[in-house]
Amino acid sequence: MKSKILNIMLGCLSFLCLLSCTKEDINDLSDTFYVRHKGADMPAHIYGNASEKVFMIILHGGPGDSGLVYRFGTIKNRIEKSCAVVYFDQRGSGMSQGRFSKNDFNIDIMTEDVMALVKVIQHKYGQDSRFFLMGHSWGGTLGTATLLKKDNQDFFKGWINLDGVHDWSQLYFNYIDNHQAISNEQIELGNRVDYWQSVLDKVKTVDTLKPKLDDFLKLNREAFVAERNILKDGLILDEAAEKYGNEILSNYVFKNNLFTTWWSGAMTRNVLITEEIFKHWNFEDRLSQIRIPSLFLWGKYDIVVPPKMGEVTFNKIGSDHKKFVLFEQSGHFPPGCESEKFADEVIAFINTNK
Amino acid sequence: MKKIALCCIYFISIQNYAQFTSEKENSKDSTYSFLDKTEFKLGYFGNSLWNPGLSGGAEYLIREKIRIKERRRGNKTITNQLLLGGNLGFYWDPRSHVGVFTDYGITWRRTNNKGKQISVEFNPLGYHRSFLPETYEVKNGEVDKVFLPGRSYYAPSLSIGFGRLRKGKKLTARYFNINFKLLTPYNTGSLPMISFNYGYRFKLRKKNKNRQNEK
Repeated sequence: MKSKILNIMLGCLSFLCLLSCTKEDINDLSDTFYVRHKGADMPAHIYGNASEKVFMIILHGGPGDSGLVYRFGTIKNRIEKSCAVVYFDQRGSGMSQGRFSKNDFNIDIMTEDVMALVKVIQHKYGQDSRFFLMGHSWGGTLGTATLLKKDNQDFFKGWINLDGVHDWSQLYFNYIDNHQAISNEQIELGNRVDYWQSVLDKVKTVDTLKPKLDDFLKLNREAFVAERNILKDGLILDEAAEKYGNEILSNYVFKNNLFTTWWSGAMTRNVLITEEIFKHWNFEDRLSQIRIPSLFLWGKYDIVVPPKMGEVTFNKIGSDHKKFVLFEQSGHFPPGCESEKFADEVIAFINTNK
Repeated sequence: MKKIALCCIYFISIQNYAQFTSEKENSKDSTYSFLDKTEFKLGYFGNSLWNPGLSGGAEYLIREKIRIKERRRGNKTITNQLLLGGNLGFYWDPRSHVGVFTDYGITWRRTNNKGKQISVEFNPLGYHRSFLPETYEVKNGEVDKVFLPGRSYYAPSLSIGFGRLRKGKKLTARYFNINFKLLTPYNTGSLPMISFNYGYRFKLRKKNKNRQNEK
């Protein structure tokens, strides 16, 4: 019996070792490594074609989401064929672990984490590696902050802002205007009149003069509910669920510990949003300093970060080469709504600027 | 400080329990050797279905109370045991890390007439080490590969278990435990971990006939 138990244990260990191996084919890379920086160990998963040493780093949303959430649909099937995509779990998010105090947890240190990731990729794949930065939602805030720090822009060939926030105080006031506008529009169309009327009533209860965290969270939660209702009414395409459900399951669910990512995300949101949101996440005055080629991708029915936010950022950045694309049937996440158009735009942008 | 406090609670609880045991039980205990009173266990361990692992351990019987209730249909025997135990195990989190852990503590187990068991295991002395894949440290702009990357955590745990005795079998019992563990410090706070443990217990020494008759 002892030998049986020993055999089972050895078998399991061999199986685990086999599964842990990474594929080092540069044309079809599958690599995972951790970046240790200032008390945090953060995983980076790199998939795709690294033959030209072009890396697109995705900064996930949240704060507190996870990098691998984005690995599905045309990001996996098309963009990974034209460049290597880096799915990075930020400090305190996803499967990141470490030990650091709440005082050392802020957007400033997180921009340093992004640059630490760049340095590690250069160290591993060569100093001639080229980088594109894509920030979604909160990732748009982190991306903007990263580009505005020191000479960080010199490291990037381009900036892709995917429904990203550049100023959270502005977002607060934008919610008030947009919630009212979209509610009135939907009531006129006769869609879910009772629901949209309740949104209007809710907006009346918030402070319209000064951003308040409680009111912000109330409006933010409502934005997600509103977008789900618009999706149910057929104004937003739901390719993520209809076409890519299984892919999302295999690439995210089976490669993450769901409880750990959920818990870490919740803790991170709690710390960052409470301490930082209206104090340090406002970059409107400095947007003109962004001078690298930029691509702005926005869903027309994005209630969480309304297109108006994107237009303001787009008009204020100092880039000579910039493009704004509005996705007519998308909400807050165009890769999950109009995936082919999304891939077309991203691949064209990377090919033009690499 | 937290660790010291937990250790104190742990040893006080052992001492208190010892005071409740009768002389009769102690004299019975003395007839058994260390291996007679020790059971080993091995089983599947996982945070969820997709994070597989193995865990094993040993349990040493320190006190046993047998209550016999007289009923019309026959006597009903209920056994309460207090055991000192330790576990050693690992699990694999795909593309993320391998976790190795060891913990030590005390287990209370109740076995009914039909051999069904419930147990509560409290392990205040726990250590958890994560082993990360290839890791690079960036310090003052320099990149260095980290040797044996990973993190160490203090990891106390609490388990609630269900099981069944397997009379006359080499594998003396099977068990299913639900474990709750706390890794601390983790990021800015702590990380709770919920895991399942399914396996079998066994003894290294076969029972001799005299002792079986005695029972």
